Amino acid sequence: MNVNYIWYFLTFLTLVSAIMVVVVRNPIHSVLYLILTFFCISAHYVLLNAQFLAAVNVIVYAGAIMVLFLFVIMFLNLREYTAESKTNLVKLGAAVLGGVLLVIIVAALRSMQIEPLNKATYNSQVGMVESLGKVLFRDYLLPFELITVLFFVAMVGAVMLGKRETGERNF
Amino acid sequence: MSLLLLIPLLPLIGFLINGIGFRKIPKTLVGLIGAGTVVASFACVLFLFLNFDGQPRVEKVYDWITVGNLNLSFSFQLDQLSLLFMLIITGVGSLIHLYSIGYMKHDEGFGKFFAFLNLFIFFMLLLVMGSNYVILFIGWEGVGLCSYLLIGFWNKNANYGDAARKAFIMNRIGDLGYLLAVFLILTNFGSVEFTDVFRQAAGLKAGNSTILWITLLLFVGAMGKSAQIPLYTWLPDAMAGPTPVSALIHAATMVTAGIYMIVRSNLLYTLAPVTLEVVGWIGLATALLGASIGLFQNDIKKILAYSTVSQLGYMFMGLGVAAYTPAAFHVMTHAFFKALLFLGAGSVIHAMSNEQDIRNMGGLRKALPITFLTFLIGTIAIAGIPPFAGFFSKDEILLHVFEHNKLMWGIGVFTSMLTSFYMFRLLFLVFFGNFRGTHEQQHHLHESPLTMTLPLMALALLSAIGGFFNVPEVLGGGAKLANFLAPLFAAAQNVRPEAFAMAELSHSTELALMIGSVAVAMIGLAAAYVIFISRKTVPVGEGQEHGLQKVIYHKYYVDELYDAVFVRPVNALSVFFHQVIDFLLIDLLVEGVGKFVKGLSKEFRLAQTGATGFYIFAMVIGIAALLAWSLRGLILG
Amino acid sequence: MLSIISLSLFGILNLFLGFLKSRRVLLPATLLFIALAFAANLLDWNHQYVYFRDMLRTNNLFINFSSIILLTTFLTVAISRSFGTDEEHTHPAEYYAIMLFSVVGALMMVGFENLIMLFIGLEILSVSLYVLTGSDKRSLRSNEAALKYFLMGSFATGIFLFGIALVYGATGSFNLSAIGSYVSGGPTTGISPLLYVGLLFILAGMLFKVSAAPFHFWTPDVYDGAPTLFTAFMSTVVKTAGFAALYRLLTVSFTGVYGLWWQVLTGVTVLTLLVGNITAVYQSSVKRMLAYSSVSHAGYLLIAVAAKTPQSPSAILFYSLAYSIATITGFAVLILVAEQKPIEGRPDERYEAFNGLAKRNPLLAFSLAVSMVSLAGIPLTAGFWGKFFVFSTAVDRGMTNMGMVLVVAVLMSVVGVYYYFRVIIASYLKTGDSEPIGIRPLYRFILVLTTALTIGLGLFPDVVRQLF
Repeated sequence: MNVNYIWYFLTFLTLVSAIMVVVVRNPIHSVLYLILTFFCISAHYVLLNAQFLAAVNVIVYAGAIMVLFLFVIMFLNLREYTAESKTNLVKLGAAVLGGVLLVIIVAALRSMQIEPLNKATYNSQVGMVESLGKVLFRDYLLPFELITVLFFVAMVGAVMLGKRETGERNF
Repeated sequence: MSLLLLIPLLPLIGFLINGIGFRKIPKTLVGLIGAGTVVASFACVLFLFLNFDGQPRVEKVYDWITVGNLNLSFSFQLDQLSLLFMLIITGVGSLIHLYSIGYMKHDEGFGKFFAFLNLFIFFMLLLVMGSNYVILFIGWEGVGLCSYLLIGFWNKNANYGDAARKAFIMNRIGDLGYLLAVFLILTNFGSVEFTDVFRQAAGLKAGNSTILWITLLLFVGAMGKSAQIPLYTWLPDAMAGPTPVSALIHAATMVTAGIYMIVRSNLLYTLAPVTLEVVGWIGLATALLGASIGLFQNDIKKILAYSTVSQLGYMFMGLGVAAYTPAAFHVMTHAFFKALLFLGAGSVIHAMSNEQDIRNMGGLRKALPITFLTFLIGTIAIAGIPPFAGFFSKDEILLHVFEHNKLMWGIGVFTSMLTSFYMFRLLFLVFFGNFRGTHEQQHHLHESPLTMTLPLMALALLSAIGGFFNVPEVLGGGAKLANFLAPLFAAAQNVRPEAFAMAELSHSTELALMIGSVAVAMIGLAAAYVIFISRKTVPVGEGQEHGLQKVIYHKYYVDELYDAVFVRPVNALSVFFHQVIDFLLIDLLVEGVGKFVKGLSKEFRLAQTGATGFYIFAMVIGIAALLAWSLRGLILG
Repeated sequence: MLSIISLSLFGILNLFLGFLKSRRVLLPATLLFIALAFAANLLDWNHQYVYFRDMLRTNNLFINFSSIILLTTFLTVAISRSFGTDEEHTHPAEYYAIMLFSVVGALMMVGFENLIMLFIGLEILSVSLYVLTGSDKRSLRSNEAALKYFLMGSFATGIFLFGIALVYGATGSFNLSAIGSYVSGGPTTGISPLLYVGLLFILAGMLFKVSAAPFHFWTPDVYDGAPTLFTAFMSTVVKTAGFAALYRLLTVSFTGVYGLWWQVLTGVTVLTLLVGNITAVYQSSVKRMLAYSSVSHAGYLLIAVAAKTPQSPSAILFYSLAYSIATITGFAVLILVAEQKPIEGRPDERYEAFNGLAKRNPLLAFSLAVSMVSLAGIPLTAGFWGKFFVFSTAVDRGMTNMGMVLVVAVLMSVVGVYYYFRVIIASYLKTGDSEPIGIRPLYRFILVLTTALTIGLGLFPDVVRQLF
């Protein structure tokens, strides 16, 4: 079977599930569709010869982060999104705007030429852990290290803001 | 240290000492420092003047700033013009400082007052000494600031604060013009140094459109600072400040900054005949307007204020016909007699326990003999009756105007009659007739102390003899001032001689014109005498005027007009914008799209985020617009 | 580089200092840390280094920008006082540490040589500020502002990252000079449309961070809700770093498509100037007015970026310096005045709170007046020269290109005078409370210092400009 058909199928599935994330009313369904979207994207990564990325995407996004989402939704007991919060006009406005943006981007990019893959020089190992590790720890060592500062700030901030103080109002 | 540097530095030192320590330094010392520094600086100017060899020189203090290939230096220029103005500023300034010691004695803000006054002298000196348009601008803004501070000096009264703000805002409008002009100069000549600019401009043709714009914009600046139509309304309101301030800033020095600036740029103006024409007519209109409003005012300081507006108009009229020397001459004599009149008015107000309405005065000549005498001299001087100062300077302007345009001359002479009338009206109402004030005031009447009368006498002397500095040839004089200032206009004369060409008037015509203007002044005097002495008329009270008188009394309703034409529309516009931004855009537009806001706000109340959704919506619209606009070539093509 | 490393370490050290019983040591320690980083930064003066495989470039421009950032941080930290001694709920060590970390982010944004570095720097700075904005946990306004900032900031980050990805797609590199040579060298097939779209997305993201219209909507709400001290920090450090990054990115990488982004920037500049200044006029709260004023100053700074002349960097530097100093002074006075008479437990930030300030504390009133005059751009203050240099870059670029922007800018700076002077008028010409306001010595020192700097730079701008 031609790989192209897989690609078309995956892309179709990705788009449909992504649209469903926004459209469905039940937040839990929404999250489940999001997970499906992530899986589709991971499959795309595989098609692009980026196996490591595909795995990480599944583990981190579809696994860890989505579980967090579900937890939060269940904690807050948001079974059904309050109906009146989104009128048709809101949806219409957002849809029109999004559509316009899409049309603009597509129109702008339509003249783009993509160079075909040169099979002779293509390195099949490019998406593997090994080459990724080499790039990350050699070329991108500084950003890699400095990103710890970012995480550190996020952590300190989360703890500081999240800690309940005496005399603080509880929601 | 050069003497030149010392001149502005001394008042600055005075300002620093008084400004920092005004709570602790005793009043006598404050007065001594305040007046002393200015007197010392006057002495320096005098020394420079006496040793001046006729060669202009520029003295660089330090390299101030370098932008690209533009080098702005903080430097002073010493030449005939700056010397003349420095003499006026420090000379008259010294006298007024001296006067203030007596006048402000009982004021609690004594130290602050002197600090501001010194600061003003500093900035004013900077203005006239600077060797480029930027230093001039610093002085220009600085004196504006000081004027603002001093008008609002008695800031407990809210009206005074308003007057101060009005002055500041009107000046800012003018400053905008000035600033644009400086930018234009900078882009066209690559320098703002006077010598550089004029050297380059000398090569240009008359009627050059760039020069036209530069001069017009500079003139807008001058309009603001020197109270010309349409930016004159702040000056009468500025009388809210203490009287010495009115004398120093709003009569003798600051308001003449516009004239200084134009005389300084005489080369540019000579190259722009159209601007000169505009300047001349605006000056004439201002002169007439000011004089006519002065006719029916009842506040002693307001009358003098409108008279100042009118006299400034005269000077601009002179500039408009390229009569630069007479205009500068009039600045000088005007500084003498107008400062004198203001200080005299201050002395009267002082004696009358802060009464300013002339309807409540009368017969003061017995109680205040020195004030009366000096005031009389001032009045004669301003009315243009020989041999006092005003006659010579005003007549010279009129002479040039006659050369230029007979209609202008006619109106000018008419204005001079009005001037003579309202000044004598003031004199008669205040010093003659019977006392019309309260008993208490009458009881309190006294001549002012020596610190106040001494400057009065000095200024009276100058007003009396000031005209002899520049006696025209026809009267057998040597036109000393004209010769002294002549080098300044040499370049301008070179590029466009016809602007300066005086069709040789025969001496008899010249004499006839002089006699004519004197006669006109006498008519004004006589009219005032008949009305206010023989018939003992007293102006009617508030609200009883009628017809034209009422219109004039209310200053032609110009303030109201400005209010209706500018202030209210701006307010309306502000409300409009307010509603567009806050209401239309955020509320109406969104509400117009239905329950958009309602839906959103509910959602947001849950999340306590205000209108984030809308913000993001707007952002996305922004991005879409950005893409569509910048990539229109790609999208359409 | 040394400053980035040392600041990261000092931040951690600061957290450990939080364990100490006495909190008095925190403020001096933080000030010392910043001073040390400042000194470490200066060591590289007149040297050019590129670190870690073209990740970071330090040169004099980097040092100038980072010095301004460190100076403003120093001043902001020095006027922080309400936390640290009084309440047990506050976490001064954490605040200081986060401030130091955010400076790390800001320095990365100044010296980046690789888009990844820019992104991480921007994120460090933003995340720190989300936290600091919400640090007043018991104030609903603060919570709201933090959440709002976070949501919108994340959105902008997404756009920004998308833009970087597109640029990578077009050029195959994150490296600034590699992108630059792609753009100006002109690949045989012509520049890919991906690059244009990517550039515009990056621009949108950056313009959001420096709060230029129409991406400024978050600014008033967030500035208003955040604790005033952090508002001061945000409005100065973020702006300086953001403009340094924007200028660097656009000039190093995208000079070849100047025609494209010049149009965008001039349009945005005009809009920003109009919105910022006109809206500021009708505010009743000084803090909100200052928020809009910060929007408008973004507009002025954009002029220098859009003009892209050799003088632009020094104009941006001088403007940032003048603006930062004056803004910090303004906020410092606001903090003191506003807390004198709280309304319903919240500081009174209305104009009326400033009535009669000149009588209550002349120093405060004077510093405030000087800073407002400087922000309004009146001569003899630093702000005037800032505007002057910025405008002259536009003049250099030419009136046909920048004439419209210049006219709007000049008109709007007149509008600015109106709202800045309202504060001065309130403090000098109106009467209010007569109860004097006391200031602590360090606070007084900082106010005197900033006021002196504002006037000093106004008198002798060349002293600093020789360095730029």
